[in-house]
Amino acid sequence: MFKKLWISMLVLLSVLVACSGGGASNNLTKDETPDKGMEVFGEAVMFNPNKLVNDGEPITIELWTWGAEDVFQKQIDAYKEIYPNVDIKTVVNPWDEMWTKLPLALQGDDGPALFNIHNSQHDNLINFLAPYDIPLADLQADFSGVDAHIIDGDIHYFDIGIMTGSIFYNKVLWEEAGLTEEDIPHTWEEFALVAKQLTKKDDTGSIIQAGYNFNGDYQAMVLGLPYQQEDLLFSENGQNINYDSEARLAFTEYLHELYYEHEVGSPNFGDDSSQSFGNGQSAMVYKWGWFQGELNNNYPDIEWGVFQTPFITEEIPFAIDRYNGESTFGINKNAPSAEQEVAQDFVRFVLAGDDFSVDYALLNSTFPTKYAVANHAEILSNPVLSVLSENIDRYMWPGPFPAIIETVSGQVFQEIFYNRKDIESVLSQAQEDIENGMSQSKFISAEKNYLHYND
Amino acid sequence: MKQVKVILFNLILLAFSILTVVPFVWMLVSSFKPNSEIVKIGGSFLPDTFTIQNYINVQERFDFLRMFGNSLFVAVVVTGTVIYTSAIVGFALAKYTFKGREFIFGMILGTMMIPWAVTIIPRYDMIVNFGWLDSYIALILPSIFSGFGIFLLRQNIMTIPDDVIEAARMDGATEWYIFHRVILPMSRNAISSIAIFQFLWVWEDFLWPYLIINTQSKQLIAVGLKLFSGQYGTDYGGLFAATAISIIPVIIVYVTFQKRFIAGISGAAVKG
Repeated sequence: MFKKLWISMLVLLSVLVACSGGGASNNLTKDETPDKGMEVFGEAVMFNPNKLVNDGEPITIELWTWGAEDVFQKQIDAYKEIYPNVDIKTVVNPWDEMWTKLPLALQGDDGPALFNIHNSQHDNLINFLAPYDIPLADLQADFSGVDAHIIDGDIHYFDIGIMTGSIFYNKVLWEEAGLTEEDIPHTWEEFALVAKQLTKKDDTGSIIQAGYNFNGDYQAMVLGLPYQQEDLLFSENGQNINYDSEARLAFTEYLHELYYEHEVGSPNFGDDSSQSFGNGQSAMVYKWGWFQGELNNNYPDIEWGVFQTPFITEEIPFAIDRYNGESTFGINKNAPSAEQEVAQDFVRFVLAGDDFSVDYALLNSTFPTKYAVANHAEILSNPVLSVLSENIDRYMWPGPFPAIIETVSGQVFQEIFYNRKDIESVLSQAQEDIENGMSQSKFISAEKNYLHYND
Repeated sequence: MKQVKVILFNLILLAFSILTVVPFVWMLVSSFKPNSEIVKIGGSFLPDTFTIQNYINVQERFDFLRMFGNSLFVAVVVTGTVIYTSAIVGFALAKYTFKGREFIFGMILGTMMIPWAVTIIPRYDMIVNFGWLDSYIALILPSIFSGFGIFLLRQNIMTIPDDVIEAARMDGATEWYIFHRVILPMSRNAISSIAIFQFLWVWEDFLWPYLIINTQSKQLIAVGLKLFSGQYGTDYGGLFAATAISIIPVIIVYVTFQKRFIAGISGAAVKG
């Protein structure tokens, strides 16, 4: 019995080895040509290809990421074409677990020289980051997402793209309701009317098509849309949460009215608005840029459009919504100096060119922070980015705030919409819970860096 | 009346087995659907559009067969080694009398009481210091002794009468011969149990191989499965196809050893 099993396992193993592709060969050659005959490119952040990297000696560094490997690989291939002595190996990690492994790996000198950062992991990673070897003024001249990331005059990473919310709508259901492009709502009042028109009920009065579905989205909305009423999420010193505010109360009451007075949706109409929209059961949803990818991948048959999140009035508000940034690479300060040198040069190469900003923006519908590509044809032809481009300077980043704020916001939704508790008391309790949760936090809000903060 | 009871009992068992098996069958069937069908509300159980694209994609995206082969290699080596080391240590603890025997056995049992998560950081540090990061030796070497395996085989070998061993010795058998030709064949049930458990543990282990292995082409299948869940969503079709492939060796091992599995476990439970 055992012999047969071992033999069958070994045969299976041999078949697998034969079937699988071989490992990538590492054909690095010594670079002996400093002058590549190439032009220096870039605007403020410039890249001069006419030099040797690592004195032309072969060198391999690693770039750890949780995705976007095709976008990164395109840059790596372009860089390797200039410097045949350099190899940059991408290592793809699972999203959740990367934040366990990466800090461990960065403690020694075996960690990756380059890695992708998410700003929610700022505290976890900042002590391992080397500052960019690019003058701050050059970065500021080329990118809008720099100021909020300055630490002691240095930049360790910054926002390469801005992700925020918009309203996605089902074009077929829109047409069925007799609506046209002219009916796209600009205010929350108009939005409620359109949502009512898009709602369908059966003979018993049960909703069979939600005009607007925000199940699962309350957390994202309630932390950003109150900015429209000049309501900051944090106090002036940037340390204390301002959750139990008039604006948040008013906005939550508005959402409550949508479900319980206008009956355009229901908390019991499925708990996942994405799936409901993808299956043509909900006509409008509030989603961030990543939703475009989800629609393309999982719901290719849905004909959808997108419009800017409505305002309180026709006037452009103080800020439209909150955004979060997709970050540039981190450089490992514990990596050997030769690897750091290559990493610094590669970061400069990526930032000086335009391709990376455009490709990365299109990947998850994040609006590029690079001024030079804001009006790029591909950016403006993307439905989500084209909508955001209208008022891109009116989105606020409060900083990488502690996760307790989103967690409590999820509980707020449940208490109000499922347990039917009084909105004021729930928000008041939430304020208390977040204050307790943040009592040990050193977080300071970045709201003061907002372009229109003093308007 | 007795027959009715048997039928009723079998019906209950059938209901439980359906509950257990249906999600697995659903996963298998869904691996032949496009993602749009998998996430469809009220979609049919069987695919409307049959596709093997998910299976093609998992190989193209991750070189999944290589990960599969890597896992198979590590699992086979670790399982084989653990069986041998457990048997030899279990034999010594069961059939030889020496000073400190009970203490050693107690220490071995003690290793089973320590949650593995507690040891993961020091183990990681050791592996880094040994320079074994990104190598299979770091996956295999820390796993070659198993407290559970030693316990199970010691208990099993204790049930083998001493007379059998004495008879072999009187016939001129060496200790080496007795272990390989008498003890091992008579411990098949326990070995089968250890083989199933150990193979499953190594096959499913995620965190340790994930922390140790960096090179994509050396990575194991449990880590590969996690790559289907991204920051903003999950590729369900790919995940189901990859999972369907990944359970094949587990089924082979279980089917091979299942007859002796229960006997092996119960044998360890009743002997002291």
